[in-house]
Amino acid sequence: MIPLQAVTLTDRILNLIGLDASTAGPLVVFGVSILAAGLVGTFVLLNTAVAGPYAKRKITAAFTDRISVNRIGPAGIGTIVVDSVRLLSKELIIPEDADRPAYDLAPILLAGSALLGFAVIPMGSGIQVADPEIGLAYVFAVASIASLGLLMAGYASNNKYSFLGGLRAVAQNIAYEIPLVLTGASVVIFAGTLRLSEIVAAQEGTLLALGPVAIPNWFAFVNPFAFALFMAANLAEVGRNPFDIPEAPTEIVAGYQTEYSSVYFVLFYLGEFIHIFLGGAIITTLFLGGPAGPVLPGIVWFTIKIWSVFLFTQWARSAVPRFRIDQLIALGWKVLLVLSLANLLLTAVIVGVIA
Amino acid sequence: MIGILKGLATTMKHALDGKTFTVKYPEEAPEVSPRFRGVHKYSQERCIWCRQCENVCPNDTIQIVMDDQRNGEQYNLHVGQCIYCRLCEEVCPTDAIVLTQNFEFTGDTKDDLAYNKEQLKNVPWYKDIDPLESREPDRGSWVSEGEGEVDYQ
Amino acid sequence: MSLQDRTPVEPDVGVDEDGLDYDELEALLDGRVLDREDHVNAEGFVIRPDEVQQVLSTLKEEAGFDHCSAVTAQEYDDRFESIYHLKKFEDPTQELSVIVPTSKDNPVSESAAPVYDTADWHEREAYDLVGINYEGHPDLRRILLPETWQGHPLSERYNQTQPQVVPLREHANPLEEDHRGDGEDADTMFVNIGPHHPATHGVLHVKTVLDGEQIVDLDPDIGYLHRCEEQMCEQGTYRHQIMPYPDRWDYTPGGLLNEWAYARAAEDLADIDVPEYAQVLRTMSAELTRIAAHMLAVGTFGLDLYGDFTVIFMYAIRDREVVQNLLEDLTGQRLMFNYFRLGGVAWDLPEPREEYLDKVREFTADIPDRLEEYHNLISGNEIFQMRCVDTGILPPETAKSYGATGPVARGSGIDYDLRRDDPYGYYDELDWDVITEDGCDNYARLLVRLKEVEESAKIIRQCADLLSEWPEDDRTIQSNVPRTLRPDPDKEIYRAVEGAKGELGIYIRSDGTDKPARFKIRSPCFSNLQTLPVMSEGEYIPDMVASLGSLDIVLGEVDR
Repeated sequence: MIPLQAVTLTDRILNLIGLDASTAGPLVVFGVSILAAGLVGTFVLLNTAVAGPYAKRKITAAFTDRISVNRIGPAGIGTIVVDSVRLLSKELIIPEDADRPAYDLAPILLAGSALLGFAVIPMGSGIQVADPEIGLAYVFAVASIASLGLLMAGYASNNKYSFLGGLRAVAQNIAYEIPLVLTGASVVIFAGTLRLSEIVAAQEGTLLALGPVAIPNWFAFVNPFAFALFMAANLAEVGRNPFDIPEAPTEIVAGYQTEYSSVYFVLFYLGEFIHIFLGGAIITTLFLGGPAGPVLPGIVWFTIKIWSVFLFTQWARSAVPRFRIDQLIALGWKVLLVLSLANLLLTAVIVGVIA
Repeated sequence: MIGILKGLATTMKHALDGKTFTVKYPEEAPEVSPRFRGVHKYSQERCIWCRQCENVCPNDTIQIVMDDQRNGEQYNLHVGQCIYCRLCEEVCPTDAIVLTQNFEFTGDTKDDLAYNKEQLKNVPWYKDIDPLESREPDRGSWVSEGEGEVDYQ
Repeated sequence: MSLQDRTPVEPDVGVDEDGLDYDELEALLDGRVLDREDHVNAEGFVIRPDEVQQVLSTLKEEAGFDHCSAVTAQEYDDRFESIYHLKKFEDPTQELSVIVPTSKDNPVSESAAPVYDTADWHEREAYDLVGINYEGHPDLRRILLPETWQGHPLSERYNQTQPQVVPLREHANPLEEDHRGDGEDADTMFVNIGPHHPATHGVLHVKTVLDGEQIVDLDPDIGYLHRCEEQMCEQGTYRHQIMPYPDRWDYTPGGLLNEWAYARAAEDLADIDVPEYAQVLRTMSAELTRIAAHMLAVGTFGLDLYGDFTVIFMYAIRDREVVQNLLEDLTGQRLMFNYFRLGGVAWDLPEPREEYLDKVREFTADIPDRLEEYHNLISGNEIFQMRCVDTGILPPETAKSYGATGPVARGSGIDYDLRRDDPYGYYDELDWDVITEDGCDNYARLLVRLKEVEESAKIIRQCADLLSEWPEDDRTIQSNVPRTLRPDPDKEIYRAVEGAKGELGIYIRSDGTDKPARFKIRSPCFSNLQTLPVMSEGEYIPDMVASLGSLDIVLGEVDR
């Protein structure tokens, strides 16, 4: 296991160049922080770039017995470049009577809010931009800014399909945010802290040793029920099948992003995938022991874990039908909310009895 | 819940068996059935200019021009307009027009797809399949009597 | 033909042991029959144009003619004529044509829409193309042509040279009038679903009024794919030139089933016999196309419910591909077969015969495994059931009144399958069952299709066995048909077969030449699509999309 440090990436870079956070000037610290944020952002965007135009297609193709992209580069990996150039070089069409500032801000808000969440995620090997005390609350807070972006996009596009899609997105996000946060709270009760690095640290050690196989003390194993709940609520939160109704192509064309093209569309597309990865990162941190894992360095384990969550969303996408909007809302408020409340209470009681 | 898990298992099974059914078309030319109906091939030597193909064609794809002595001058066929019903081959008494297996033809404009008799003669066989062999065998032998092999020119 | 006994039909009025007793029917109508005509399929009663509703409701209520297959309209030198092709769901061999002549100067006839719901669209089509006015029709608008069209193209007075281009602004501005309802405060939104929309299965335009997510009002607008298929057939000769076109009506591929509809009508019209060997070939190849068509229906239905990139669509297409390969070996094409000929088929089985039949058997033996996969993926899935069970409800009585046939009718528990009830081909010699489900919902329609695939596989297997044992000296694939067919003048026939989507009927009137004088296609999708408002009003948009998918319409056949 990699020992977890409470120091942030900024501190580490400062140490690397022979400075100390307490002695270096505020401008230097600021510059180095920007550099650290840039590094993490690049890492996330790199994953997204592989996932969006390439991995998503390959994974779906595997489920549907096809080959998928294979024209450019080995195994079609060059598609990433080609696709980005293709999308970016398209004409940016802005519909008449679009509500301009909102229309332009929505894609930026969507992609930016998801990216912000990564600031506090401990990625192992000492990569963590910041480690505030309220880490978990911060992640949930910035992730839900996206709903605002979706509503803005849906309303500003001046298109009925977009409008329906925006409203659906908000209704869905509110219905699923609460179970998501409540289930996350049950983990907080276990760990006794909101600081993400401490939540990861709480998952160190072994839960059960079955001969040579040691089951780690991850919250996914401690409380599998909460894990399942969180996975389901997270699928809805990122809008993947069976909960992809805000964009349901066969019903409302493309939902809130119907009118977006070119760069704006790329931002939406990117934002969607960053969201999936942010969901994966939260799940990894809360339930899968963060970057913990044998032999390989923490950052590699972290990447493997978020990609597994991504794989799961793609798997569900190809095999699970979509709910109807009323069924989805009913499921959120009547089933998931109740279950997550029960889970929270039970956890509180158990932890209270043990402690 | 069990139904959903069954569905997930089924798809995962497909993902793991690694089999694909994609046709790698430009690299690997697909197998076509010997009866497949592609672009026409026309033999002026055999044609007796009876105009039956022109009459039977359901959408006026074939145009035959004759002089006042009833000698054939032009035989034009618009492969882009053709619906590939094979009626012309069916009514032809001499197998002067046959549909090859060749489905690869392109043109920049619609006019490029209007073939005259020279172009129709030069349509290549697809994978060297002579469609006449797959048709009624006795008819093919009747046409190629004496020569052994059908000679289109 | 299923071996199960059907409960004997209770003798209705006008029925004796040999079928219909037309004299008794005429007596029932109490002198309203002006004249009787003899069509090849049934007798025709000529009635006055102002007594249509009375006559038809008597026939429906008292004589049991509960199925109005189609309405054919045409113009003669001295009159307009609408023909109502009536049948019984119990026994479709009991047919009756009701002929309503109207004068040239004032072509007004009473509408049958209050009696048969299905007459609504059929009469709109007759009005649109031929120009007969139906009095008392609830909504007599154009249906295939745009609202702004001038004149009626099938009437003799139609001005062929008049330009018909009308700019959108003069026609209607679709961006205006968002609210349709009562007053300014109406809380509804008008949405055009289609003609270009991922879920409309082609160029269908559904005008919907939404209250939130729920559909308040819905009006399917068709005609975007109208290609004058009927008129193209009127331009072609019976013997050769018509046969390639049926493939293009229902191209999913229902091709051979459509060809059979034309072949059956034309063969009965011109008294052509079909050798038994050819009938077996026809039966086998037609059932292969039915499997292919149902596979596509199931796959696209999956797309409607799952969203894009669903596996079920790909698996269905993969299985359909196998069928298409088999059909390519047999007919020479994958979709546009042109395999049937009047009096038989174009090819025998490809050589070597046994190898081909083994391939066919292998495919049919695989079907249960494949279907198991489908059941795992769709019909067994709980979310799928939540979406499909009890949505898009079509009660049997409504389905009958709208003339729904095929899997749509059988999904509503109507035991109606022309392959058994009006036997043709080799079906009555084989052992198979008609599938019905009582659910009346989207789920039932899907189940019917999946089970029908199994039944088709059964038929194909029996045909393959028959073909391999068929004596070698008796393999006639075509009977001797004259090169030019000229059926006797003024013969009229309406004949239907069980297409992939339902009753596909052809009406032909001959005029002594080698081309039909009137060619009318009774498209099952056209009638089935009419039920969409009944199914969807009050439900959610996703349910409307699912209902549309479960109807399995092909716009090529709806618009013709």
